[in-house]
Amino acid sequence: MLVSEKIPKEDLDYILEPFKEEDNKKEEDNKQIISEKIIAIVRDAKGKIIDKREQKMKSLTQYYLALMSIPILGTYSYGSTNTATGILTNVLGLPSNQSIYNDSAVINFDTSIQLGSGTQSFSLTLKNLNAPISNGSGTGQLVYYSQGIQYSGNFISQLLTVSNISGNTITVSEIGLLGTIYIVYWSSSSTLTATPYNYLFSYDTFSSPISIPNGGSATFQIIITFSG
Amino acid sequence: MMVGSKVDYDINDLYIPKDNKGDINYQKSFIASLTIIVKDKDGKVIKKYKQKSHSPTSNFIGLMLPLTWYHETGNSWTITNTSNSTSSYTPTITGNGGGVIYPNSGYNNNDYIVNILVGSGSQSNSYNAHNLNAPISNGSGTGQLLYSTLSTPTNITINGNQAYFIISQTYTNQSGSTITISEVGIILNLITEAASSYSPSTSTVVGNTLVWYDVLSSPISVANGQSITIYYTFSVNA
Repeated sequence: MLVSEKIPKEDLDYILEPFKEEDNKKEEDNKQIISEKIIAIVRDAKGKIIDKREQKMKSLTQYYLALMSIPILGTYSYGSTNTATGILTNVLGLPSNQSIYNDSAVINFDTSIQLGSGTQSFSLTLKNLNAPISNGSGTGQLVYYSQGIQYSGNFISQLLTVSNISGNTITVSEIGLLGTIYIVYWSSSSTLTATPYNYLFSYDTFSSPISIPNGGSATFQIIITFSG
Repeated sequence: MMVGSKVDYDINDLYIPKDNKGDINYQKSFIASLTIIVKDKDGKVIKKYKQKSHSPTSNFIGLMLPLTWYHETGNSWTITNTSNSTSSYTPTITGNGGGVIYPNSGYNNNDYIVNILVGSGSQSNSYNAHNLNAPISNGSGTGQLLYSTLSTPTNITINGNQAYFIISQTYTNQSGSTITISEVGIILNLITEAASSYSPSTSTVVGNTLVWYDVLSSPISVANGQSITIYYTFSVNA
């Protein structure tokens, strides 16, 4: 049986103590497990590159950590009952037990990039961008094209292309990786339901805002690298 | 809804990092660490050890790829369990649905963490590791350690600018001889399936699956009568 026990304070203090130089004598010990970066390439109306950015991504939220708990802790709280883990219910707000018509239920997820024109301080529980830029051709909007994801060797790259046909320059100052977790099940004999639960997995502001001129376009990438 | 015409040339600008493995200067947004505490038979701490954990396995990566990747590529992911048997994983929200089983009011086949497995061997390619090189089994015989119950978190703890969860397990050496631990891994009993699964016969019981693996920088010796507690900490930092 799996149980949750209180960790002795002296152990917890040591666990949470920052790493000291002597803890990591080998170069390998200092390798990042997961590193992240953001890339932006902006083009004018003629397709000429007018701005290129690359910066380290700094800010994963607790919701991404909770997502990572699924392949580590599993979805069931322990082997003998049919309830979800505490992290899935307490942090992500998922049901402890999904009511279904028959058969079974599964969980999976997807991600997308959201751009914004505001700024805000990061917090581990942040849920939204400060001023999201919506999809469209109206004032203050950008056209979001379908998003792509590549995986190669050790990194996941999320790619978004946008264009500006709003009539005015649009300024992008914040970027987030949105996550949607789905619980998929049969809600009737003929209806497969995928209930979405939405989160902000990462949030970053650009060191200086990115301007996309009218008629221009931009590509944004969030790259998450697993060292393996 | 998408409007306007697609700007397709930007896809050619896709930037592929040449070697991110060597870049240790990135902001440490995510950290995993391994903490080991050895105690004598009276419970007195005789050694503390800590190292950064490095190694999600290929199995872990497949479970962390978003739906869009599966839909765009049409690929599935091959998951290999500790017995070297393979299963195909393809999550989807259409058709019959597909993913990791979730607790529900119908058919259940529990997907849960099994243990922190310890071993006495090592292997260099942790990404492709499917089991420990030389797992130490549970028991009090020669070369064995007694595995205590696994301790799992019920929540994520936020402490200042850090959010974390911790998994831990204690092992006692009653084998009569010193045992050396040099590798550690997290084992998940993984169940993937379609939402239309009616019974165990139609679900994919991947079974015991290595999702995280580390070789200790310095092997730890556990003398007869001593116990050792291993803590895996996963955290994100503001």
